Amino acid sequence: MSGETKSIKNTTSGNGDKSVISVCLGTGGIAAGGDKVFAKFEKEIKIKKLDTAVGKRVCKTAKTGCRGLCAKDVLVDISVPGMESLTYERVTVDMVPQIIEEHLTKNTPVKKWLAKDDYHKFHDNQQRLVLGNCGTIDPENIDEYIIRGGYTALHKVLGMVRQLVIAEIKKSGLRGRGGGGFETGWKWESCAGYKADEKFIICNGDEGDPGAFMDRSIMEGDPHVVLEGMIIGGYAIGATKGYVYVRAEYPLAVERLHIAIKQAKEYGFLGEDILGSGYSLDIIVKEGAGAFVCGESTALQYSIEGKRGMPRTRPPQSVEAGLWDKPTCLNNVETFANVPIIINRGAEWYSKIGTEKSKGTKIFALTGNVKNTGLIEVPMGITIREIVFDIGGGIPKKKKFKAVQIGGPSGGCLPESYLDKPIDFESLLEAGAMMGSGSLVVVDETTCMVDMARFFLDFCATESCGKCPPCRVGTTLMLDILIRITQGEGKEEDIDLLEQMSDEINTMSLCGLGQSAPNPVKSTLRHFRDEYLAHILDKDCPTASCVALHKYTVISDKCTKCTLCIRNCPVDAISGSKTEVAFIDKEKCIECNLCYEKCNFMAIK
Amino acid sequence: MTVINLKIDDKDVSVSKGTNIFMAAKNNEIYIPGLCYHPKLTQYGGCRLCMVEVTERGRTRHRFSCAQPVSEGMEVKTKTPKTVKYTKSVMEYLLAHHPLDCPTCDKAGECGLQDITYDLKLSKGRFKTVRLDEPMKRDNPLLEYNTNRCILCGRCVKVCKEIEGVGAIDYQNRGFKTVIGTAFNKPLDCSFCGGCVSVCPTGSWQDRTLKFRARPWELKKTPTICTYCAVGCTVVLNSKNDNVMRITSNDDLGINEGNLCVKGKFGHEFINSSRRIKTPLIRKTGILCPTSWDEALDYVSKRFSEIINKHGGKAIGGIGSEKSTNEDNYVFQKFCRSVLGTNNIDNMANIKSPSLNRLIRNSVENGLAATSLEEIENADTIFFIGADVTEAHPVIGSMARKAIRLNKSNLIIANTRNIEFNSVARKDIRLNYNLGTQAELINALTKVIVDEELIDLDKVEGSTENLQELRSLLRAYGIRKVSQLTNVSEAAIRSTSGILARPGNCYIVCGKDIEEDPSSEDTIKALMNLCALINTSGTDKASLVFSRSNNNSQGVNDMGVVPDYLPGYLDIDDASKGNSLNVFGLALKNKIKAFYVMGENPIVSYPNGKKVKDAFQKVDFVVVQDNFLTETAQLADVVLPTATYAEKEGTFTNMGMTVQRLNKVIQKVGDSKPDWQIVCDLARKMGHSYSYTSPDEILSEVGNSVPVYEGINNNNLKKEGFRWVSSVYDKRKPAKYKFEIFESQPSAIKISRKYPFILLTRSSLNQQGTYSRNSSSLVAVAPDCFVEINRENAQKMNVKNGDMIMIESTHDKMKLKAKTTSRVPEGTVFVSEDYEGIPVNILRDREYTNVRITKA
Repeated sequence: MSGETKSIKNTTSGNGDKSVISVCLGTGGIAAGGDKVFAKFEKEIKIKKLDTAVGKRVCKTAKTGCRGLCAKDVLVDISVPGMESLTYERVTVDMVPQIIEEHLTKNTPVKKWLAKDDYHKFHDNQQRLVLGNCGTIDPENIDEYIIRGGYTALHKVLGMVRQLVIAEIKKSGLRGRGGGGFETGWKWESCAGYKADEKFIICNGDEGDPGAFMDRSIMEGDPHVVLEGMIIGGYAIGATKGYVYVRAEYPLAVERLHIAIKQAKEYGFLGEDILGSGYSLDIIVKEGAGAFVCGESTALQYSIEGKRGMPRTRPPQSVEAGLWDKPTCLNNVETFANVPIIINRGAEWYSKIGTEKSKGTKIFALTGNVKNTGLIEVPMGITIREIVFDIGGGIPKKKKFKAVQIGGPSGGCLPESYLDKPIDFESLLEAGAMMGSGSLVVVDETTCMVDMARFFLDFCATESCGKCPPCRVGTTLMLDILIRITQGEGKEEDIDLLEQMSDEINTMSLCGLGQSAPNPVKSTLRHFRDEYLAHILDKDCPTASCVALHKYTVISDKCTKCTLCIRNCPVDAISGSKTEVAFIDKEKCIECNLCYEKCNFMAIK
Repeated sequence: MTVINLKIDDKDVSVSKGTNIFMAAKNNEIYIPGLCYHPKLTQYGGCRLCMVEVTERGRTRHRFSCAQPVSEGMEVKTKTPKTVKYTKSVMEYLLAHHPLDCPTCDKAGECGLQDITYDLKLSKGRFKTVRLDEPMKRDNPLLEYNTNRCILCGRCVKVCKEIEGVGAIDYQNRGFKTVIGTAFNKPLDCSFCGGCVSVCPTGSWQDRTLKFRARPWELKKTPTICTYCAVGCTVVLNSKNDNVMRITSNDDLGINEGNLCVKGKFGHEFINSSRRIKTPLIRKTGILCPTSWDEALDYVSKRFSEIINKHGGKAIGGIGSEKSTNEDNYVFQKFCRSVLGTNNIDNMANIKSPSLNRLIRNSVENGLAATSLEEIENADTIFFIGADVTEAHPVIGSMARKAIRLNKSNLIIANTRNIEFNSVARKDIRLNYNLGTQAELINALTKVIVDEELIDLDKVEGSTENLQELRSLLRAYGIRKVSQLTNVSEAAIRSTSGILARPGNCYIVCGKDIEEDPSSEDTIKALMNLCALINTSGTDKASLVFSRSNNNSQGVNDMGVVPDYLPGYLDIDDASKGNSLNVFGLALKNKIKAFYVMGENPIVSYPNGKKVKDAFQKVDFVVVQDNFLTETAQLADVVLPTATYAEKEGTFTNMGMTVQRLNKVIQKVGDSKPDWQIVCDLARKMGHSYSYTSPDEILSEVGNSVPVYEGINNNNLKKEGFRWVSSVYDKRKPAKYKFEIFESQPSAIKISRKYPFILLTRSSLNQQGTYSRNSSSLVAVAPDCFVEINRENAQKMNVKNGDMIMIESTHDKMKLKAKTTSRVPEGTVFVSEDYEGIPVNILRDREYTNVRITKA
């Protein structure tokens, strides 16, 4: 509770004695109808003339970025001067008049709609540094960012020698949040060491992992922190131009970055002679064209150059000859967002957070079979159990936890035995997963791990750029084998073959994406080999997910005799009643799979 | 250059810094498998086959040899159990879906994929897969593409972009569905240089002229020099049973690094064409009838003797060949001068631009001439003036693109037409000057350099003469005035001068638009002034090369087949020197009674077809030596069949003055003979002892008697070309340059109300005279000769692309297809003069002929 009230206080102080209604308008919020709720609030306030009518109370509606807990959208904060700020969850348009009537005019909050325990548990266990402003400030208003201490780091940096800025970042131990975990300060230093007429600083916002939306939320909720981090980085390496490479599939992020750049230029934080320091930098937003591979740094640079996004071999490294063969420093959105915090609070303070080798916090996109899906920021070294069960609120529908897939398609899965392992760059690699950009998919007992591996591999195979055979052909061949296994046509030697190929693709692929493409297969083979064997030897999918392996029999102890399957069967192949467990007549069954889909209790296999 | 020492497979190796491990191994005869790396293309790293084990500073790692530069003390192992294992796995992936059609694949036997499969002893793989079975793409007459065999090494994509500057093909789709293809899968529309076929390591790209007529191992591969344009590329003729089946290239031979153009690569079908003349022909009762060599030569000898007796030797005009060898031309001029006793000999190049030889001689004497074409690869600034290299000398374009890619050279293109030249040059200046204003433009460029002192003028003053006079000459060229006259902006003139004056090597290619203009002499003098000015200012060099049309246009002049000079540009002491009339003019004036034409078709190639035809009809006796029964041969009394470049030995001199040697590829076709042999036989018939038995003997005589070819040696020519400008520079210091001062000439462009358009003509990429006309694939790929007409003009006349239009001059008219374009300026039309079957020259009476255009 404490963390929450603290941040609310800040908001209130920034707005004097006005009442503030903050509506979550991140992409998740908008998708849940946030923009309609926002409009309704504005309309109602106008109709009721709350600004002027009572005379005492001035009301204001504010847009904010993502609040994190997307599962409970639309979230609305209402703070009335002199009262504790309160949060409503799952607000719909119909609820607006009543909230205004009771909370704002009568000062009696509508208790039944206030956020429940889950919401508070979700927030209380986090350490929101980078996301501190997200969901609190209006991302389209630079003043709100400045009031909360924005651009002070830039002021501070422009008075420092470049080497000192780099030294500070190095001291903080900040590591790249894009997946590789390369030390940021070290990268900046080597880029600063190359002399050239032009240098570039690039922010990689091409977040393409399925189930990842960390960078998106930062760019949408607090775009200025990204820009500030970039300008500081640009100053440190001596960049002449900056690019933010964003997926075109993030239209809101693109729009808000454009607004932020315009505002930053008006305030003199960007453009010619920044804050009178003599340093000039322009930042350009470059929209990607929908290729996953363009998240790879060299492919991203080719894409900016207008070429086909394909990774190239190294050397030379980008810091020596990157974009247009000029020294280029490329960092991830979250990495840049960490920079102003380090400068403001000092490397020493920052390096106290996290583990020995992985400093600071990490943002994860928590999705899958977990109650509180959403965006979380936790210190490095936290355990998976804390994330899934404390912040995430555990698995819904009383199902059992099975594994987490960390790091998207390039990452790996960790089973129950790893629940108490602390998470940092090294430990994840050791366990056969990787930090990746930070997607964290929770998987419960109903998920087939072979099928999940197939899903991620399918993604990698389709998104391969096609440049090198191990990735282009190898993943396709592996996918063929996995499909065969999920269809009950697997052979025992397939497991060996999959392991060999994982190793070959890992060793021979050109870029990181190809090298890590077999990871989901490798880690599921490592932790869930039994499931593979069940598919291959018993022709059975233990979770009954693989349709081709369905035997269409009813598991008697799971059947609740609801007769839903009986009512839906198109050929009347199922018998049974409210008192009798269902039975499927194999003679009549046409294997249309409808009964399996309709059953709410996983009683059909 | 820093040398790096390393060990590859326990062999000590020294290579220059920056070399990658792959090339370090290859240059030291150590084999590393690899399919995507190509030394003339940018590194790609896509095939993943060249993995090696590298030990460096105590650490052993696996590296991909094409992507890893060598370092001092590095130890490389190319074949360890690990590298072999993983390389095999990648090969297995590559072969998993590869069709098993080697028996019907034209590449089998020279296929990189086959070779590595064999080398790694790959057997049955681990995967059971369906083989790819997409249809073959055959959308053009020259190239076919089979996507099933493609391993996506990307070489063709890069060759097309980097070397040819076209970029007609690129990758499509992602993942396993990735293929090479054209935009929107339209039929291939490119320059058809065949670079994709040359670099393809598998059978994906195929040369359709081979047409399954031979397996690669049956083909005899003979390198020789291309017979089309004046670049002098080395081509490798592939023959089987004395038939040329296809042309390949060799990156290590000659000057062209294996790059060719459409004519060089695919234009070989004329060699074994059924239309070749195979026996001598004599006109009997008005019809050309086959006869024996004896009878033909007896007859020629008899008629020549009669004419000499009656009118004197000078009544016979000789026309040498821009396409025959130096040896052929040397013997020809010697025969004309000593046996026939005539100095009325000439060649088409000299007839079209009569002052060029003298100006080239000046440029050599003053040290301004480039020593070779390859020099362009060292250029920091490339200046094409009036030169359309994309159409006329495509491989010079490839050389220039190499310079632009590797040296980041600046590019300046000045032309009346908005010609095409694609490159990645960062500074790419286009000066589209008004027709006929080139001399003013060049003088303005010089003026800016002098006025703004962009170079050290004191140094220039010391090493040249006439600088003050030049200054006063330039006073007349106010930049604003020139800008208005030429339609080139002042800013463009200034920035061009700025770039030209920058330190670094500057390579200037003077094109045919300058050389064949009526005011060519002044323009070239102005250009030489500019070149000398840049040249004398610093340590770097500005050099000048003059465009020539045909494979031996330079050589025929070097050999003295001109009225003004003896071989080697030695001044001639003859009364006919300085005669204002050329051979055709003399014939029309009844001063010439007979023509002896060696390998030329002047009726079509001379820019006044009617005049030449009249001349040929007027004379009493015509002998033509050629491969085909050309328009000129059809007017002859005797036609003598000659051998093509594939059937003979000798030397060609390219426009960079490099003399290169031919190799005999096949036995002579029919009863044809090399030109030199025919001339020698005729001389013997006429009672002179021409005892040469081979071109080697003739070349020895040339080496002894022709000053600029002094020291040329056939044995050395086998290894590399002889650069005669270099050899002259080695012997003599360049003369002190004296700036040329000249009066500006009135414009040669006439305006006519009745014939409102001006006809421009120049080279074509796809065609060049008799040879391409008789190569069916070349004709098929570009069958139409278009009238290019400016879009604005076309719109006013309601002419659309592909419409038939009538083009008419005071002499003649012809019907051609229209191509609306922004390449030609308003008020002009362009028709290529290289389509021999569509002789645009019959419309012309001078360089800028007035024509009118009507919709047909």
